Amino acid sequence: MKGVKALYLKELSELDGVSGDEGRVRKFIEEKIKDKVDSLKVDVLGNLIAFKKGTRSNRKFVLTAHMDEVGFMVTNVEDDGTLSFAPVGGVDPRVVVGKPVRINGELPGVIGYKAIHLQKKDELLASPKFENLRVHIGARSKEEASRKVELGDYISFATDFRSENSRATGKAFDDRAGCAVLMEVIEQEQRYEDDLYFAFLVQEEPGLRGSAVLFEQLQPNIALVIEGTTAGDDPGLPEHQWATHLGDGPAVTFMHRGYVVNKKIYESILQVAQKYDIKHQYKRRTAGGTDAARLAKTGGGVPAGVISVPARYIHSPLSMIDLGDFENTVKLVSNILEEGEGFAR
Amino acid sequence: MDTVSLLKCLSSADSPSGYENEVLKVIEENIKPYVDSVRKHKMNALIAVKNGQNVKKLGIFAHADEIGFVVAKLEERGFLRVEPIGGIDPKVVISQRIKIFTKQGVATGVVGFLPPHLQKDDQKDKVPDYNDIYVDVSCSPLSEAVSVGDICVIEGRCASLGDKFSGKALDNRASCAALIMAASKLEIIKNRADVYFIFSSQEEIAGPGAVSVAYELGLDEAIVVDVTHGNEHVPQMPQIKISEGPVLAVGPVINREFYKVLCDVAKRHGVRTQIEPTPGRSHTDTDEVQLTRSGIKTALISIPLMYMHTPVELVDPRDVEETARLLALTSTVNL
Amino acid sequence: MIDLIKELTESYGPSGREEEVQKIVLKYLEGHIDGHKFDPVGNLLVWKRGRDDKEMLLDAHIDEIGLVVTNIDDKGFLRVEPVGGVSPYHYVGQRVKFPKATGVVYYEGETPEEQKKNLSNLAFDNLFVDIGAGDRSEAESLVSIGTFGVYDSYFYKNGNYLTSKSMDDRVGCAVLVEVFRNLKDPRHTVIGSFSVQEEIGLVGAFVSAYSFSPQICIAVDVTDSADHPKGLKRHAMALGKGPAIKIKDKMSISHRKVVELLEQAAQKANVPYQKEVLTFGGTNAAALQRTKEGIPSATLSIPTRYVHSPSETVSLSDVEGAVKLLVSLVDLNI
Repeated sequence: MKGVKALYLKELSELDGVSGDEGRVRKFIEEKIKDKVDSLKVDVLGNLIAFKKGTRSNRKFVLTAHMDEVGFMVTNVEDDGTLSFAPVGGVDPRVVVGKPVRINGELPGVIGYKAIHLQKKDELLASPKFENLRVHIGARSKEEASRKVELGDYISFATDFRSENSRATGKAFDDRAGCAVLMEVIEQEQRYEDDLYFAFLVQEEPGLRGSAVLFEQLQPNIALVIEGTTAGDDPGLPEHQWATHLGDGPAVTFMHRGYVVNKKIYESILQVAQKYDIKHQYKRRTAGGTDAARLAKTGGGVPAGVISVPARYIHSPLSMIDLGDFENTVKLVSNILEEGEGFAR
Repeated sequence: MDTVSLLKCLSSADSPSGYENEVLKVIEENIKPYVDSVRKHKMNALIAVKNGQNVKKLGIFAHADEIGFVVAKLEERGFLRVEPIGGIDPKVVISQRIKIFTKQGVATGVVGFLPPHLQKDDQKDKVPDYNDIYVDVSCSPLSEAVSVGDICVIEGRCASLGDKFSGKALDNRASCAALIMAASKLEIIKNRADVYFIFSSQEEIAGPGAVSVAYELGLDEAIVVDVTHGNEHVPQMPQIKISEGPVLAVGPVINREFYKVLCDVAKRHGVRTQIEPTPGRSHTDTDEVQLTRSGIKTALISIPLMYMHTPVELVDPRDVEETARLLALTSTVNL
Repeated sequence: MIDLIKELTESYGPSGREEEVQKIVLKYLEGHIDGHKFDPVGNLLVWKRGRDDKEMLLDAHIDEIGLVVTNIDDKGFLRVEPVGGVSPYHYVGQRVKFPKATGVVYYEGETPEEQKKNLSNLAFDNLFVDIGAGDRSEAESLVSIGTFGVYDSYFYKNGNYLTSKSMDDRVGCAVLVEVFRNLKDPRHTVIGSFSVQEEIGLVGAFVSAYSFSPQICIAVDVTDSADHPKGLKRHAMALGKGPAIKIKDKMSISHRKVVELLEQAAQKANVPYQKEVLTFGGTNAAALQRTKEGIPSATLSIPTRYVHSPSETVSLSDVEGAVKLLVSLVDLNI
């Protein structure tokens, strides 16, 4: 295996792709992987599906990561030229004030807030509400703003990516970290026993939607969902409530909302990690769901496993992962594929 | 039939989710003259097909079911308790006549309200919930025939209010009317796609009506037609107004290119439209239809409506007509 | 049938870990079915061929609610989260059974005030499990993180009433098993689905019917019986009045035609029955009806007191009535 360099993490993190507007991310991934896979297609919903023929082809194995991130939608252009907006996916209004944003991946704006000097005591203590927040794009009137922005346009956080001290900070690690893992695996340019489908999915955040149309197209036998998941190693939280933490490798899920991970797959993931001595941890909370729940419930049912890169502060403009965890996730996934038909048999 | 008569006829049919037979019969009679075939689907939907040039399959959906009640428990002396089918504000149910469909015919009961004289102080401002609401059927000759599981609706009355129209179940009979009127227009303007007009079931309880049909037909494109709140102030949203034309939804559950096609068709033919940003789910059949099989390019058109889920829902018939025009025109373009 | 219910309810099978119970089902069905298979998500599907080419699918979920271990501390105490709709109150002072250990569930509190507060706002975050381990490594050797547990409860008979954990839905599984044992040369092909992961979101039932083409599906499950002191006001269901034909719950409305068939079957077999409107909850019928181009579906319920507690209670006569009703249904023209 070649060394893992988190090749595409920076670009993936900095691209804007709120649920329903994944085109930029898709184009980037497509460009980078097209020469390293056997075929590629984009389906009706916008999922990018890459195929690599196996050496034995007895089984269809699909690996998924979702391309979309949480963000906002322009819901109204106000008379003063500012924009009202609503969250797409779960965003806490407390993380958005005082942040620079981008509309449609290019037009800059800011989400301001009333100056501290002007807030009354009860205002200071109150949580911001989306209905009172606006994006300012420098327009002086509704007419001027309407020339640049349409209702339904997408808004993303404009956070730059940084990598220092073997940690990476930036936006959208949920789930561009997963996309980056899959791209690293593709980068290895290896053939495995199973037929492999790499599915870069749309619309995970608004309800596991992109994965709903995979079964009809692929009839996969087994799936592995690669996520950027909640790390809870925060000073405010007792250790037994952490879910995951940074530095101890990929998190392996036994159960999350709406799905108990297929026992054979779950145990096989742990076995591979042990066999190759890859640092790993359990995902120790059951809240939150992934596309694995949707895959199990679609068509004839696809048993799926879930492996995640732990990420602190997800669903906010600024999240953090450990690059060692990222590297170990790539290793674990690659080793699972190398196991071939022996995996989850 | 003119728009108001059609609305009246559709509104009067009593067909809560799962029990759509009556309204589907009315729809069948009205749409039959304009289409090539009509058939029932096993999940209680009606599919009317207008053949086109055999290039693409366009499904146009409107749910035919309405909100209602089901008898949950019989109490002594001709009182009974109900469970709503779909979201109904209990405040709206007070002092209404309730039609109960028993095995022996329609029994009519009333929901009463304790007179102020007998109310205790702590009851004065309390809003009742369904645990406090009884239907009194002692006034019906069929009171003995009522049993658990019987389906009910609030008795409604249609009214023309100036150029507006009010009645029960206009969610979503207004859209059903728009589909029938669109079909009638295809006599004159020829549709390119094969058009499947689908009157689906169980939308009010998020049931499997529309998705089942979408799966069976294997559609290329789908338009879901439903109603949306008109003349309300919703924080951070543009105000949708009645009489200002059909509403096009935009958001993740809607195919962006298809939405643009609809905008374009409307613009070219002078159909006035409004835009409704939909950042999450639309809470219509759109959300699931989009995910059928390998995915269907889906759009959502809504008719603005006031007082949703009350027996006095209100629409402007011209919005219904303009929706019909937009649907018919869309079926002529190269999708 | 009592032995069957006892064996099924006392066995271990939380959502996602249903193999042991499925084995028991297969043991009882030996010689009474024409074939069986496990589908990709683990549903056990069995069938008995009929005289004509129509199929009907009977479903009972084989999983039960439970707990899953999410953390182990230095002293060997476990932390748990619920699997399915489990009230933490049902577990305080109760025992939880893991495959290799049994533990006591209790709540934290460093002052009497805190204990009182934790007990009155009980949450899984304030519960821990004591499996008698001295330290972390001893605990880990018995129960690793990700191990599932169930109520440590046993079956007993009180007159005509039967009480145990996991009547929801092993009593449904028992009904299905008895139906298959009573089928002689059935008119239609009958498929039985012993479905997995119902309690956490109807997972199995979304896909169990996919490889068949049934005309109708019936989910056999439990429902709230409100015939105890101050039971829910708007629930009419009671023990001993026969199986309940569901009209509606929060997740689905039974298909009208299937309701009519169930009523006909009951009348033909002379089985008393009740009709059910449940103001919350849902069953596998909600998922089964969404298969492919839709399958008309309904639920036949066994009225049950104290659902999701360690002492779920049913009436034997309702259970026997359900078996008779379904056997009679198989001979109707669907």
